[in-house]
Amino acid sequence: MTTAIEQIGRSGMHAVRSFWDTLTFAFRILARMFDVRAYNSAVRMVLINQIYFTSVQILPLFLAVAVGFGAIVIGIIGQYLIHLGLFGYFGQLLMGFVVTEFAPFITVLLIALRSSSAVNAEIAVMKVNKELNTLHVFRIDVINYLFLPRILSGILSIVLLSWLFSIVVLVSGLIFSALLFDMSMNDYVTALLASAKFSDLIVMLIKCATMGFFIVMIPIRYGLRATDELTSIPVSVLHGMVNVFIAIMIIEVVSLIVVSLIEKFI
Amino acid sequence: MRLYSSEELLDRELCDIMAQEKHRLGLVSLDAPLISNLSVLSNIALIKQYHGRLSVREAEDIAKVRLKKLHLEDIAMKRNPVLLEVQRFCVMVLRAVMVEDAMVVIDRPFKIMPDLDDTRFIRDVLTSVDDLFQECHIFDYLWNEERYAGGMIHGA
Repeated sequence: MTTAIEQIGRSGMHAVRSFWDTLTFAFRILARMFDVRAYNSAVRMVLINQIYFTSVQILPLFLAVAVGFGAIVIGIIGQYLIHLGLFGYFGQLLMGFVVTEFAPFITVLLIALRSSSAVNAEIAVMKVNKELNTLHVFRIDVINYLFLPRILSGILSIVLLSWLFSIVVLVSGLIFSALLFDMSMNDYVTALLASAKFSDLIVMLIKCATMGFFIVMIPIRYGLRATDELTSIPVSVLHGMVNVFIAIMIIEVVSLIVVSLIEKFI
Repeated sequence: MRLYSSEELLDRELCDIMAQEKHRLGLVSLDAPLISNLSVLSNIALIKQYHGRLSVREAEDIAKVRLKKLHLEDIAMKRNPVLLEVQRFCVMVLRAVMVEDAMVVIDRPFKIMPDLDDTRFIRDVLTSVDDLFQECHIFDYLWNEERYAGGMIHGA
């Protein structure tokens, strides 16, 4: 019994320490992000490459998913609203659910599956190959040169791709609502504009930036935990990705709480 | 040239010199490999880009001139895994001499190029770039002394 309690306590302590370490690391990165001395041509080159790998290479798949999911979701939502006699809320559902919740969530899932795992494996491989030691020997700061561009690219990618996803879904919504529900373009745009709230868009922006930050920072941290052995690479990717999904869930819940608090008090 | 009778002793001396001269250290060692997701050109240019705050083009122009010195222009866009051992060594030396007022430290060269019989190749490479560094130290084991019998260039 005592052993079991000790085990729970140890696991709890470990989880708290790990959470604290993640936050400390996040603050170190954030502080460096606003330090202009951290940026030079080498860092800018990595940033441009990372934006290309994260945001541009994924575009064909991303646009296909946006059109496909957009059509399905708008079709289902519209049908249910007509069935319930609540079609007047169509615009609100599009803005409140598709734009502020669905678009960031699908975007973050796609980027996490593709880029977070790649970043985690890349950092772990660099650690195993002693390439991080090379940077240390030549006095190249790993936070500035390796981590900062990847994290900035994560933030920019999630924010911009979420907006792109929303735009594609809303445009496909325009087409499908005309085809399925005989809704004119004027009615569709009016419904959307009437439901658009500036505070929702700001919350969405902050949520996307936060998710972009953590879905790259967490894999970096777990990549750094790799040892000198090749077998530690899959283990670090596994732990990193599990923690990325936990972080996504936590940020989703926190953003929902923040939105409900804003609606309550403002 | 510094020869040591044990790995422990060599590692300790190497750590000391790395700590003392970290601001002008240009290390050539398997413990400081080339960055595998960068081309040879980018690996060499990186030092000037980062410390010299040069643009990508300026730093790569310098790197191209230095690759030409060792007749290695054709491997500029290749990456570490496909390089031959001697090419890898040359690129590591070129990267080391990109450090300002470089003190080149070559750690166990015969570990980087196990097929080499003597130091002639190392000597030729260092002679080709001897205007680009201030001093050079080679760390190796005592049992490799015979391979250094031909002597090394001044300062090495």
